[in-house]
Amino acid sequence: MSAWRRLHVKMRVIRGFLASTWVTQRHSCRCGHLNFCRSLSTGGPLRNDFFKELEASLAAMRKKAADALPGSSWSPLEINPNLPPERADIVIIGGGVMGWSIAYWLKQKEMVREGVRVIVVERDPTYSQASTVLSAGGIRQQFSLPENIHLSLASADFMRNINEHLGVVNEDPVDLQFNHSGYLFLASEDVAHIMEKNYETQRYAGAKVSLLSPTQVKEKFPWINTEDVALASYGLENEGWFDPWTLLNAFRRKAISMGVTQCCGEVTDFKYVTNVMMTADGERMEMKRIKYVKVQMPNGLEYQPVECAIVVNAAGAFSGKLAEMMGIGLGPKNSISGIPVPVEPRKRYVYVVHCPNGPGLDTPFLIDYSGVYFRREGLGGNYIAGVSPEEVEEPETSNLEVDHQFFEDKVWPRLALRVPAFEKLKVTSAWAGFYDYNTFDQNGIIGIHPLVNNMYFATGFSGHGLQHSPAVGRAVSELILDGNFKTLDLSNFSFRRILTQEPMLERNIV
Amino acid sequence: MLKILIPTIMLLPTIWFVPPKQLWSSALIYSLMIAFSSLIWLKTPVDTGWSFLNLYMATDSLSTPLLVLTCWLLPLMILASQNHASAEPINRQRAYIMLLTTLQIFLILAFSATELIMFYVMFEATLIPTLIIITRWGNQTERLNAGTYFLFYTLAGSLPLLVALLLLQNSAGTLSLTTLHYTPLSHLTSYAHKLWWAACVLAFLVKMPLYGAHLWLPKAHVEAPIAGSMILAAVLLKLGGYGMMRVMTMLEPLTKELSYPFIAFALWGIIMTGSICLRQTDLKSMIAYSSVSHMGLVAAGILIQTPWGSTGALILMIAHGLTSSALFCLANTNYERTHSRTMLLARGLQMVLPLMAAWWFIASLANLALPPLPNLMGELMIISSLFGWSPWTLLLTGIGTLITAGYSLYMFLMTQRGPLPPHIIALDPSYSRENLLIFLHLLPLLLMMFKPELIWGWAA
Repeated sequence: MSAWRRLHVKMRVIRGFLASTWVTQRHSCRCGHLNFCRSLSTGGPLRNDFFKELEASLAAMRKKAADALPGSSWSPLEINPNLPPERADIVIIGGGVMGWSIAYWLKQKEMVREGVRVIVVERDPTYSQASTVLSAGGIRQQFSLPENIHLSLASADFMRNINEHLGVVNEDPVDLQFNHSGYLFLASEDVAHIMEKNYETQRYAGAKVSLLSPTQVKEKFPWINTEDVALASYGLENEGWFDPWTLLNAFRRKAISMGVTQCCGEVTDFKYVTNVMMTADGERMEMKRIKYVKVQMPNGLEYQPVECAIVVNAAGAFSGKLAEMMGIGLGPKNSISGIPVPVEPRKRYVYVVHCPNGPGLDTPFLIDYSGVYFRREGLGGNYIAGVSPEEVEEPETSNLEVDHQFFEDKVWPRLALRVPAFEKLKVTSAWAGFYDYNTFDQNGIIGIHPLVNNMYFATGFSGHGLQHSPAVGRAVSELILDGNFKTLDLSNFSFRRILTQEPMLERNIV
Repeated sequence: MLKILIPTIMLLPTIWFVPPKQLWSSALIYSLMIAFSSLIWLKTPVDTGWSFLNLYMATDSLSTPLLVLTCWLLPLMILASQNHASAEPINRQRAYIMLLTTLQIFLILAFSATELIMFYVMFEATLIPTLIIITRWGNQTERLNAGTYFLFYTLAGSLPLLVALLLLQNSAGTLSLTTLHYTPLSHLTSYAHKLWWAACVLAFLVKMPLYGAHLWLPKAHVEAPIAGSMILAAVLLKLGGYGMMRVMTMLEPLTKELSYPFIAFALWGIIMTGSICLRQTDLKSMIAYSSVSHMGLVAAGILIQTPWGSTGALILMIAHGLTSSALFCLANTNYERTHSRTMLLARGLQMVLPLMAAWWFIASLANLALPPLPNLMGELMIISSLFGWSPWTLLLTGIGTLITAGYSLYMFLMTQRGPLPPHIIALDPSYSRENLLIFLHLLPLLLMMFKPELIWGWAA
């Protein structure tokens, strides 16, 4: 190996400075990347980049010079360099794909450079518990609510042209590995009419979906067992799955290049002022306005109160807990301040299985009417599968331990029933992730809280947040900077429905 | 003269001995009384001579308007700081008002000084309380940077001034302004004399600021708390203008040739800083750059050394002092509610705070020199005397006026009109204190329309 490298170096020297050399590197994929400056495609860089190396070598020279000169770097003001700035205009709590999408769109929409100062506060830079990176990464338009369909369509359009939006000059292009294999929903006899109604809604909204009869399904995908299947709905375009880590890092890289500050810390408290007002009915309302966000450094007692104008709660599964710090939900039970933010973490398992004789490359993301789903992962005969547990069997959420018995009891039987080839499979690995589950109606909450004047919410998407993140980011940035939704009207997702207890149920939750 | 100065000095022990509950109201009423009694300076029988004479201090028609402006500003500063300082411990509040008062004392001494060294010492002395106010009570970490820029730019500019003044003392025997105008200085032909001329004006040009040496101003204005911004914009910049007008009389005939590059810088600065204003996102930064723009016009007016030029410069200094200070107060009312100086985040405020929108309107109109406000009078006199000096300057000043109107309207439309974001619907209504503050800024401006002779200086 080293002899080959030496040969390369000699050849480089011989051919001269301006010639390009081919250097190959092995990258490990998926989780474990802490240095987001590395390329977002899973191949390695194919050419030496003069300017990137120049910057690095200049920085190294400066450091060497500073070390060589006499004098120490001690300063009487021992400030932790990782502290967030003392003030920012918009503090986004939560560095998942939703938070970074909002940060990117805020910077995209400001009309002048450095129009708004945005910082994103994320407490875990390894993203070990974040819902984004533990997601199965699917995107579909097959929802029953038109707003959800529009969100998915807009996000799919964004992701197809991702390099136009998130490409950074002189950096590698973004490769989302968007597999356009589509979703295949299977319906039994009793829910087939719902599927037909949904089909009409989806076609009306512009999604390219087709209904298939069981025989058509069998023709298209011979490996499916169509017993008990009455109807199937197959997405023809803009549906499939992609790499969520790549999307997150693409948003992050672009947002940071546009001037968003990233801060690693945990929000422990808010400093707010309260204004007591009386409504027309004589009810006493306390309107709060957040003045400071207290960010605590990891592994220490240092904290920084960040003065801010707007706070965006994009904390995902932990948004409910964050809202409690503001006193939302801690008031008397029959008043507005007694209604908590109904978002809580729900654990979901994903199992990676290997089946050598499984379905081929055109396998869609199959979702059975029982709730069991699976999709192809990579090209080596691996698939990922899972199911949402029943309400009464929800696993506890204190950790992300995987229950392998769950696979044996709940997933494998129905999977093997639907796809006979899966009777012989081997579970190679599994992981668990949290849904930011909206216990009220399993749909996102987007908008300002009625009692906290400057806290925006973009959370509670219950498993379909990742696929909606580009469009939701755009919507929230329109709310903040333009005052109202401009491209997609998501006012149905506001807090009003929670206050008036009118759920907006989405029928197609997986 | 001492009638005003001694009470101002006595305000210092008053601040420290007053019980905490009455601190702000007593400081306000005391300084308001001093401000009203300073109006007697305006009643002078003679147009050209010195009045209210003392061994070391006197007023004449050049320093009187600036002195009255200084005395008027202290109660306004106390009114403006009341809200944000109330969160601090009582001794810090006392220290804050003490700093404002010492600044006031130094400024009164500076504007009324008859001896140039005394003027110089007071000129430098005003830097210290301002530096303390910016670095201690400013809002961000950048305030240390801002304080450093502010201090060192001014000090570096004024050290040559000290040397030049001592040189003058050696050659002329006296530096008293009362007699210096009458001792003609001849043989000002060698290269050393040209350097001496530059040394004399450089300090004031940095303070004004002239376009090339203006970098300290946006930093200092943005990072300072509201009272710091007010006194900086309203009075400290005018110290530069005043000093230049005093010193220029003895620098003839060198000024005819040597002032060319500085006039060019000043005029170019009007356009450049005006254009920068159009791209600003931070409200206070925008008002700071607009200050540089207006003071560029003042600098050009002083440098051409014509009667109309000096008169226009003086009028514009007073009018701009009041207008700029009013704009900073308005920006502060925004900041105290939304905690952000970014213009993009506080839009459509006309819906929420309509009276404040009216004040914004008047202040923006004053900024863009709407007739018949004194802002226009000053600008017009400077522009016409510049035209008489060279017709080509009309191009630069005309475009400058256009850009000034552009960014003033942009600032008004951006903050008051437009869509109202949902997070600023529920804001505190305007306090009477804030309304009174802006009213007290705009009242003198509107009254000066009716009696401009007060601020004309020596114009016939």
